[in-house]
Amino acid sequence: MTTATATDALTVRGLCKSFGGRAVLSGFDLDVAPGEVVALLGANGSGKSTALKCTVGLVRPDRGRVGVFGTDLLDGSRTADRARTRVAMVFQQIHLVRRRSALDNVCAGALGRLPLHRSWTPLAFPRELREEAMACLDRVGLADRAHERVAALSGGQQQRVALARALCQRAEVLLADEPVSALDPSAAERVMSVMADLARTESIAVAAVLHQPELARRHADRLVGLRGGRIAFAGAADEVTQEQMSSLYVVNEGVHS
Amino acid sequence: MSEANRGVREAVPPQEAHVSEANLGVPPQAARMSALVDERTPERMPVPRKRRGPRAIGMAAGITAVLVALHVAAWRGAEMDLGMLAEGWHGMVRFVSEAIPPDLTWDPVVKDGLDACLVTLWIGLLGTTLSIPFTIVLCVLGTRATNGNAAVYQVARGIMSFLRAVPDVVFALVFVTAVGLGPFAGVLALICNNTGVMGKLWSEAMEEVDDGPAQALRIAGAGRTQLIAHAVLPACLPQLVGLVLYRLDVNVRSSLVLGLVGAGGIGFLINQSIQEFRFDQMLTYILMVLVLVVIVDLLSSFVRRRLAP
Repeated sequence: MTTATATDALTVRGLCKSFGGRAVLSGFDLDVAPGEVVALLGANGSGKSTALKCTVGLVRPDRGRVGVFGTDLLDGSRTADRARTRVAMVFQQIHLVRRRSALDNVCAGALGRLPLHRSWTPLAFPRELREEAMACLDRVGLADRAHERVAALSGGQQQRVALARALCQRAEVLLADEPVSALDPSAAERVMSVMADLARTESIAVAAVLHQPELARRHADRLVGLRGGRIAFAGAADEVTQEQMSSLYVVNEGVHS
Repeated sequence: MSEANRGVREAVPPQEAHVSEANLGVPPQAARMSALVDERTPERMPVPRKRRGPRAIGMAAGITAVLVALHVAAWRGAEMDLGMLAEGWHGMVRFVSEAIPPDLTWDPVVKDGLDACLVTLWIGLLGTTLSIPFTIVLCVLGTRATNGNAAVYQVARGIMSFLRAVPDVVFALVFVTAVGLGPFAGVLALICNNTGVMGKLWSEAMEEVDDGPAQALRIAGAGRTQLIAHAVLPACLPQLVGLVLYRLDVNVRSSLVLGLVGAGGIGFLINQSIQEFRFDQMLTYILMVLVLVVIVDLLSSFVRRRLAP
């Protein structure tokens, strides 16, 4: 199941990263096919977020390869830069521009493919883009809030705007770093189902770091458990046992020394 | 408790009166009553002694010694002499008594004063707004969040420091030699000084912006200019506008000082009346300045409050 195939949208091989001599990731592998939702589980400090950040280029890994549809993202070439815009990311802290409208924030997802004279201000965005962004907002159920400031929306709505932004980026790989950790259960459920729905209908490969095993089991196709920077288990959502899940969160005081 | 004291207390609501009596070390009725209200004595636990190493104590002593030494040196260097102040106080009294009452003749004193106040306001306004374009350029180049080139960053920072280091009065004198005495020289001087100060304030505001949204857009493939336009600026725009208003406030006041060296406006009239020993006129002008400064301050703080996110 974890063998790389030509159809995989995201392939990560042997990712290693250490901060100040402490290994955070040691040999992390991940494959996500288009339309598949993979949940990364693990205790705090097990390397989940670092794995995503390495993938998207926010953190430079010590070793390992990251590929998107066969293109290496880490070789620093122009092709790598272009391939990187096929990857979008949503964050626990959401990271929208709070003073701008939902629609303007969604439009900003397209900045990578706009020339400067059409993007130096939201007023310069082309009409087609605004209409595309509107459709993206509609996909996440927020078309009626398009002109509202993001700051006026609830946390769950903001996270859905962030998903619409990723959609407007026309991303084929979506990385989510604890997207629902700051949300109440019903908002979390809604965000997760929108995300899983987008994955299936738009064939987006989704890798999401989650802290709620139950949420992961309900919405993800596959679960990957991380422990101490290594993969503890990987398997289909209904194959992973409860024991495997809880083994991730066993307190090990030695780790903190 | 004396009768006079009781009279003062009457305005205080009974509850608070108890508290203040207890605080004064008068524990009788009041303290017992409050004990009745809350009978359950809360559990207590001794606070463990904070361990302060000899290094921390030495450090604190060192810092205190340095601060004291600095102030002693400053006292000597500034030729502070309270005795001289005590002996010469009647000089001040004469000066002030000559100024009172202020000369409120409409023509020429008050009328000229109003005109000059307007000129002062105009100098401050133009000095602020015309410096904005230069500030934007210097600030974008001199902020780490928006400029990655270390050499350009240092040069921009250097220019800002230079503009701040030279007092605006010196700039005014330089420009007077080019364009002659008058408000124009004052405006030019303020533009120079304000570009330096506002550039620093703005770049600090931009450095403080949370870089999360910028990170998200960088992942989406946005370039540096796009990041500034869509992540950095919208996040700190209210602060930037607030700083412009604050600088307007300050610049109106400094255009006063520029008037003293010949840049026109109310400062010029104050200087003139002092030279003619018309201290009553001087007082009139100073009162007008007071009103002007208060009005500008009120306006700018009103707008800044409305802008607050």
